[in-house]
Amino acid sequence: MNIIEIKDLRKDYPLGATIVPALRGVDLAVEEGEFMSVIGPSGSGKTTLLNIIGCIDHATAGSVKIAGSEITALDDRAVTDIRLHRIGFIFQTFNLIPVLDVLENIEFPLLLMKRPAAEARRRAEKLAEEVGLSSYVRHRPAELSGGQRQRVAIARALVTAPAIVLADEPTANLDSVTGASILELMREMNAVEKTTFVFSTHDAGVLRYARRIVRIKDGLIEKEPVAA
Amino acid sequence: MLLLRLALRNLLRQKRRNLMLGSAMAIGVAILVTAGSFSAGVSDIMFNKIMRFITGHVAVRFNERGGVMREIFRDRGRILAAVQGDPLIEEWYESVAMFARAIGNGKSDNIILVGMDASKGEATRADWEASFRLVEGDWASLVDGTLENPAVFSQEKARSLNVKMGDVVRVRFRDMFGQDQAARLTVAGIMRNDNIFMQPVVFLELERCKRVLGYRPHETASLSLQLKDARRDAAAVAARLHARLAPGTAVIPASAGGRPVRLYGYRSDPGSREKLLASLRLKAGSQERALRRDGVLVPEGLAAALRLSPGGKLKVSWPRKFGEGPAEASLTVSAVYAGGPPGAPVLLNDRLFYGLYYPDLPAVPSDPDPPAGWAALLSPEWTLLERTFTTEDYKKKYQEIARDKHRGTTVDVSTMYETASDILKLEHVLNVITLSAVLILFFIILLGVVNTLRMTIRERTREIGTARAIGMQRRDVRDLFLLETLLLTVFSSAAGVLAGFGAMALISAPVFHPKDNPLGMLLVDGRVYFLPTFAGIAASVLLIIAIALATAWFPARRAAAMSPAQALRHYG
Repeated sequence: MNIIEIKDLRKDYPLGATIVPALRGVDLAVEEGEFMSVIGPSGSGKTTLLNIIGCIDHATAGSVKIAGSEITALDDRAVTDIRLHRIGFIFQTFNLIPVLDVLENIEFPLLLMKRPAAEARRRAEKLAEEVGLSSYVRHRPAELSGGQRQRVAIARALVTAPAIVLADEPTANLDSVTGASILELMREMNAVEKTTFVFSTHDAGVLRYARRIVRIKDGLIEKEPVAA
Repeated sequence: MLLLRLALRNLLRQKRRNLMLGSAMAIGVAILVTAGSFSAGVSDIMFNKIMRFITGHVAVRFNERGGVMREIFRDRGRILAAVQGDPLIEEWYESVAMFARAIGNGKSDNIILVGMDASKGEATRADWEASFRLVEGDWASLVDGTLENPAVFSQEKARSLNVKMGDVVRVRFRDMFGQDQAARLTVAGIMRNDNIFMQPVVFLELERCKRVLGYRPHETASLSLQLKDARRDAAAVAARLHARLAPGTAVIPASAGGRPVRLYGYRSDPGSREKLLASLRLKAGSQERALRRDGVLVPEGLAAALRLSPGGKLKVSWPRKFGEGPAEASLTVSAVYAGGPPGAPVLLNDRLFYGLYYPDLPAVPSDPDPPAGWAALLSPEWTLLERTFTTEDYKKKYQEIARDKHRGTTVDVSTMYETASDILKLEHVLNVITLSAVLILFFIILLGVVNTLRMTIRERTREIGTARAIGMQRRDVRDLFLLETLLLTVFSSAAGVLAGFGAMALISAPVFHPKDNPLGMLLVDGRVYFLPTFAGIAASVLLIIAIALATAWFPARRAAAMSPAQALRHYG
């Protein structure tokens, strides 16, 4: 079953008087439980594609279905709800809330969902343990290394048990060893939680972790599939 | 809880900036609390320490036969019955005062003789003692029967008259009836007060003062009423009292030659005279002379029985309400009439009538059953002046009294809002000053909050984007910034209130004794007086919070409206 279905997706950015097309008619289908990488050079449209799939940016044209629901016509409140309940994000720059500690960052989406505090805390502790941060739960992001921060971000992305986790260049700010461990962790979570992972990268070295690779260039999917 | 936790931590995260803004807010609140408490203090002084003694919260003034100086009402008990029945009236005082020339030891000066009611109990006496502190003598001396008219002088007057304790001061004054009088006062106390307006005042015990000034025991001067809550109740009490003081038709039930007769005054304004003449059939006497000021109209039955004709004398006597023995008068008949009011009364020009009626009030001064249809033409017991609500109208009312418009005693019920608006204007000035402080504060907060939020939002744009991407609704983003502003304002306000109390304690610490300075009246015990009230402080804090939230609303809404993708792309 396809968890993501994209047809003729277009996205234009106005740049002064000119329009810059970022996506020029993308068609893509992602099956539930996939561990897929979108690769391409800088400016190819990877982040734009992930942003639109993740409901944090709007398509100029085309259709995007998440778990069978068309999202392009929804209002802000509805797409925010989809982000909260169905999608997890892992960012290149981690994007943790600096005033919250590890546990609080992880439980943050659950509290937005109005889950009971005790339940949220239990779930956050479990995730912290799974990503190997049990000893750092009271640390704030500024007190963690880059790899640890990204582990927190992974735990936060998974805490709501989303249908899809989108990771935009999750290893770009990490050294190769840490990056590899993060990708290992993501693959492990994919295996354990059965969550669909879509991550972008322009680093050919991380491709070996992907089970499916989609190459994007100049706003178009160039070639699919690329065997992992 | 999540938003509260985030808001609190974000506040602590930008310590210096929030401390600066919070300090500005706290200073603003402190100014507001201090200015508000000063304004409330001045109001309290004006309402409860000045107005109460000058006019009372509500005043009932009497001017007999329209005389501006003739502040007398001849039936004290009747007026007090109307006043004492009102539960909102806390206390009443007779305002007895007269300008006089005092001659001391080789020196003379103008003074104001003021009656001080020593019968009002300990609380009132303590109040007076607190307001007018004696430096020599004691207030109990005012009722010392061994002294001749014991009086308390201000230090300034004692100095200008060159008198000391126990000295005798002679006073000359013109009484309310226009007669020159003289009296001797004994210096029984010397007071110090910081209120320049009170320096010419010489206090005598009320009853002695009234006696000196020519009042009889059953007579009263104007009344000053003190209310429990003057601001709230003054207008209502005045309206109620005004309704209660509606006059009846004045009558003198007398006897003439052994026959009972009723004497009524008729209104002497041209319109009433014309109507009266049209209602009577003159049997003797001319129309021109019938209504003359010193003549009376006698009904034909009485004229026949007593053989009276125009120019003849009608001798009447009537039992008096006060004093012993009947009152008597000899009246000149100006005309004999038929028809007229039921009961065939003797009719007098109102000037003549009131001249008989007031000095010797009849035992039954009001006609319980006045001649039907004649009330508009006959003289009332007194003239109840219309209530006025502005100082301008109040002044006009008294200009009419001065123009000798009224024949009977005018009774006027007024509140301090009409009578002493000039003093009350001071309160408005202080309110304007407070309002100015609010406006300054508004701009401080406006600039501070807007700038701080703009900086904060700019710095936290990616955070906003992250929170929105994770699933935080726009409304929650907006509420987060509003909550941060609210918390900052609440903490700042609390600090500001404390600072305000500190400032008030500091300002009111030094003791002043200003001489000849009107500002002295704003001091209590020589100190600047503040009256902080819970309502006033709560209003100030709520005002600041409202201003801060209103100011924060737009930046907060702008932060909430950002697209998550745009916010995540922000590097700043």
